[in-house]
Amino acid sequence: MTQQWETTVSNEEKPTEKARAVRARQRAIGRELRRMYDDVAQEAVPDDFMDLLRKIDEAEESKGGKKVS
Amino acid sequence: MTKPKSPKAGKRCPDAIPRPQHTQPHLRSPRRRDFKTELLALIPFLRAFARSLTGNQEGADDLAQETLVKAWQSRATFIPGTNLKAWLFTILRNQFYSDRRRTWRQAPWDQEAAERIPGGGEDQLFSAQLSDTARALRCLSDEQREALILVGAGGFSYEDAAGICKCAVGTVKSRVARARKALMEILDGDDTLGDVARPAGGDAAREIMSQLDSLSSPDVGALGGKRRPK
Repeated sequence: MTQQWETTVSNEEKPTEKARAVRARQRAIGRELRRMYDDVAQEAVPDDFMDLLRKIDEAEESKGGKKVS
Repeated sequence: MTKPKSPKAGKRCPDAIPRPQHTQPHLRSPRRRDFKTELLALIPFLRAFARSLTGNQEGADDLAQETLVKAWQSRATFIPGTNLKAWLFTILRNQFYSDRRRTWRQAPWDQEAAERIPGGGEDQLFSAQLSDTARALRCLSDEQREALILVGAGGFSYEDAAGICKCAVGTVKSRVARARKALMEILDGDDTLGDVARPAGGDAAREIMSQLDSLSSPDVGALGGKRRPK
């Protein structure tokens, strides 16, 4: 791999091989981005969040005076 | 009352943070519970988006929680049948920028410069654990980063992303394109990150993959692990 990479993202001089390589590279980066995002999305949700929702709910209900669940 | 249409029908909330409305009698009903259930299901994605914006876990979870509170307070302004996820992401994004503006006012230092230094500022504690790509992501502008994450990782359409970022669809498209290009340049030889992000002149993809192996934990079945709704 040479330094051609960094200057040829939108360079159309030699479309075939380079463009293919760039696309492949972009796909790899895309996969990595999704993976980073999905990794977080798949983490267990911390208890704080449930506590928070419960508190909100309780506050709302005591204000509204009507029980939901 | 608005009837739920197909999930894709809605244009989503045009206005970021809807006004707080405290008394919504009609919401003290099963529908309110549905809203809460949907909210719960989307928490993992709020966390993921927040993490990509802040670059660290603690700040991200604070942000996601603030978002939940705001969303709950504003739930009456959500139009059933529209895209709840996009609505929540809009709130989260607004919250992120308004929190940060406040931080800037409180501590006037050159945060922007700090953010451009890999491992600088808020990322410092975590930089050692971040992959090349995660670090490179921190070097993008906010606009490019959020657009790329929404479209490239979050699975949003350009239209939805434009709604969330409050800009034109074409703007999102060009931000995503520029972000992709910039990421590649950073990862594959641009010296913005220097030795930090890219140790030798090796194969960055292989480098990423090997880092990923050590990063990603296979135990997805843990509590609350959520699948992404399509």
